[in-house]
Amino acid sequence: MTIHRRRVYILPTRHGLMLAVVLTAMLVAGLNYNSNLALIFAFLMGSVTLVTMHHCNRNLLRINVDATLEADAFAGSDARFEFVLRNDSKVERRDIEVRCNAASAMSVIPAGESRSISVTVPVARRGITRVRQFELRTGFPFGWFFAWTYVYAPLTIYAAPIPKGSRALPSAYGKGSSSYSEARGDEDFSGLRAYEPGMPLKHMAWKVLARGGEAAVRSYSSLAAQPEWLEWSELEGLDDEARLSQLCQWVLDSEAASRFYGLRIPGRQIEPSGGAAHRFACLRALAAYGAASSP
Amino acid sequence: MKSEKISLPHLIGITCCLGLALAAHVSSLPPWVLATIVLCAAIRLTLGLRNGGLPPRWLLMTVSGLAIALLWLRFRTFTGLAAGTALLALMAGLKLLETRLKRDFYIITLIIFFLCIAALLNSESFWLLGYLIGTAWLTALTLLRVTTTQPAPNWLLSLRFSGRLLLQALPLMLILWLLFPRLSSPLWNFGVGSHSAESGLSDSLNPGDITELAMTDDVAFRVRFATQPPPPSEQYWRGPVLHDFDGRVWRHSLGLPARNRPATLETEGPAYKYTINLEPHQHTWVYTLDWPSEWNLPGAGLTGDYTLVEAYPVSRPIDVTATSYTHVRTAAPLSREARYRDTQLPEDRNPRARALSAQLRSEHPDDLGLVQAVLDMFSKQAFYYTLTPPALGAESVDDFLFNTRRGFCGHYASAFATLMRGAGIPARIVTGYQGGTYNRFANYWIVQQNRAHAWVEVWMEPRGWVRIDPTSAINPSRVEASVNDAVGADEPLADHWQRRSGWFGDAWLRLDQLRDLWREQIITFNQDSQERLLVKLHVPEPDGQKLVLVLSGALSLVFLWLTWQLKRELNPRSPDKLARSYHRLCTKLAAAGLARHAYEGAEAYGARVASLRPDLGAAVTALCRQYSLLRYARQSAHPTLSQFQAAVRAFRAGPGRVRPARARRPGSPGSSRS
Repeated sequence: MTIHRRRVYILPTRHGLMLAVVLTAMLVAGLNYNSNLALIFAFLMGSVTLVTMHHCNRNLLRINVDATLEADAFAGSDARFEFVLRNDSKVERRDIEVRCNAASAMSVIPAGESRSISVTVPVARRGITRVRQFELRTGFPFGWFFAWTYVYAPLTIYAAPIPKGSRALPSAYGKGSSSYSEARGDEDFSGLRAYEPGMPLKHMAWKVLARGGEAAVRSYSSLAAQPEWLEWSELEGLDDEARLSQLCQWVLDSEAASRFYGLRIPGRQIEPSGGAAHRFACLRALAAYGAASSP
Repeated sequence: MKSEKISLPHLIGITCCLGLALAAHVSSLPPWVLATIVLCAAIRLTLGLRNGGLPPRWLLMTVSGLAIALLWLRFRTFTGLAAGTALLALMAGLKLLETRLKRDFYIITLIIFFLCIAALLNSESFWLLGYLIGTAWLTALTLLRVTTTQPAPNWLLSLRFSGRLLLQALPLMLILWLLFPRLSSPLWNFGVGSHSAESGLSDSLNPGDITELAMTDDVAFRVRFATQPPPPSEQYWRGPVLHDFDGRVWRHSLGLPARNRPATLETEGPAYKYTINLEPHQHTWVYTLDWPSEWNLPGAGLTGDYTLVEAYPVSRPIDVTATSYTHVRTAAPLSREARYRDTQLPEDRNPRARALSAQLRSEHPDDLGLVQAVLDMFSKQAFYYTLTPPALGAESVDDFLFNTRRGFCGHYASAFATLMRGAGIPARIVTGYQGGTYNRFANYWIVQQNRAHAWVEVWMEPRGWVRIDPTSAINPSRVEASVNDAVGADEPLADHWQRRSGWFGDAWLRLDQLRDLWREQIITFNQDSQERLLVKLHVPEPDGQKLVLVLSGALSLVFLWLTWQLKRELNPRSPDKLARSYHRLCTKLAAAGLARHAYEGAEAYGARVASLRPDLGAAVTALCRQYSLLRYARQSAHPTLSQFQAAVRAFRAGPGRVRPARARRPGSPGSSRS
């Protein structure tokens, strides 16, 4: 969206107020001594201040902002939002600061170019945080004034639980197939499935694709046949957050091992699958646990 | 974030700016203040270079306390301009010592601005104003570089940006300066005169004073005659009159009340009306043409000696319109006290001069004869006129009359008055200026300091006070030309201004015209000027309220202009001529129902148009081909830009029908083969 004039606010900073006091003193001195040269100087400095105010206000006008609306993070780490600021004008925009939830980052956007600014917002706790707006602000030039504007955008932070927990994956002990884990390295190739975005590239049937066929994924009988369910109910004896942490750990482990896995927590079930998108879906489900509304 | 530390180059930058601002005060600040500031700057920069910490807090406090105590001892106040400036300068120096963060930087910037204005309060100099605006520019530049995200743009870009800010501020400044209401009288009087040095003549005459003046070209005042000006030989500009002589120095009469009622004069000859544009000289008197009769200066009055005096020292340039007569006679007889005072000589000084007067008196019983005899003596004997006379001994008049015989107006006036008094004729010394340089480009007379002069008035029955200029009696062959052009200062009869001939003289006169314009338009601008301005703007019956109204109106206009000016730069970069021309072609074709698709290249578009409208085919294909050649081929491509533009202008799509059989829906996939 583009920053419009009516929505840019401006106020003097502490330094601007000090300057105003000095300018007033200069004016009074010039008037008191009836000195035209002193008045010229005082009025010139006053005018420069007013021109500076205009420049400061203009510095934000007609900047185009794009933002990633969603950010994923683990509790205790940082969520990163990317803001792309485009400057279609002929003037350089210096010192444009993007503020989001008390975190901020600053950049210079040359004339006719765009710059991406990433703001890292620290996330303390698991859960979904919604930031309804972010702020663009600037003190350029001189820092006597600061202009700011609010951009209303539904920014959402999905803070997954901290991955933690020492329990082994359910497959390692459950379902009674102890031999499975030993034979994990050479599962039977059972056929090809149509590729869908998010499937592990590791299993991509490159040769088929190279021959000009449709993109396909090799499917292994053990994986296809035995999807792994990461179950809330299997973690008896732990409190909710510990369970979530353990489940999170399992999701990461399963993904690292390129398994097919599903997630089942109270109120939510994610069918078994694999790949980055699936992993995010699982992590967001863990983040959303207990929240009033799910994404 | 706002308290980031500042780097060494920025520290050096701000120190230089502070130095520039202080340079404007060098002559008025006590030397130890300057030394303290230089020391502070040196310590701070050394620490900065060594990357060391700041000096300890107790040291700062001690130095500050000491400096302020010294300042108090020196000035006994902190409110006057001189003391205030010194205090401000010291604060800047000490602040520099503890400058570490951006916040300190802002404070030093503000101090620099205030130092600039303090230098301008009592100044009229165009150059000083320009210099200080330049200083402010550099200060703004440094501040800009400190406060922006690092790395800051290069110095040249920053310089241009801050210069642009100044330029954009100019119209606003002009409006404010022209229309901002002024005070009719100062709110506080801090003793304006204490800051600036007295200039021009003083209220005593020690032969030697005027030599210094004779060496300076500064303008004492300018005169505009409303009537025909008097001949140069009668242009005597009257200043303070000196009565008391101690054998060496003539002084303004100390024993007399300052405002004795002047005797009425019987005037003869034409009246001269003129306006004096007096430069400030920090004395109360106002120079007028000898002898003044009317003036338009409320609060001013004539002394018993016919010198016009103001109630306060002249510290601002003032304009006085006055009327004078060059030929007068004093109607009333000389009072006993006045006669006594003006025949007094110290008993024990200058015995040979007194003997000479006694001798002359016995030879010439009538006053006129005696005056003529002394003038003849100056003219016939070997008296020389020089601006570099030998030093005189303790009996200065004796030494001059009988030994050195070299001097200038001060010496001759002093000797002449002494001889008159010795003979019992009341005599007094009048100081002022003689003559003036005519500026033919602007029709006014310039009176410079090098025209400072001293002459004598003697009491002659029945005429009263008569002006005698003994310096004019010297034989012109005995005028020793000096290297300095100012030799003419004491030549009352010389047409001094003729010396300034040729292109150099013209240039000098033109320059003075500019200076006069500066003084008239800028320096003396006041409430009356504002009212005249409003009258020119057709505001009926201007007053303070209307002034504020006009000011707000003008300010709104300037703000609109500024907003427009700044907004204009926000428009996207305009495409180049070629792109505009091509766009025009596309628009013409679109009007004929052949809009270009967003994905279509020029040649593909041309081909499609050709297939849809065979009648246009050849022309459009050629134009599209030209466009891609101009856009992508080397510079030496056959068609030129101007040819292409002309061809596009000439192109008419016409209302021809699009062939329906092959026309496809625009935007449908597959229509493109580009």
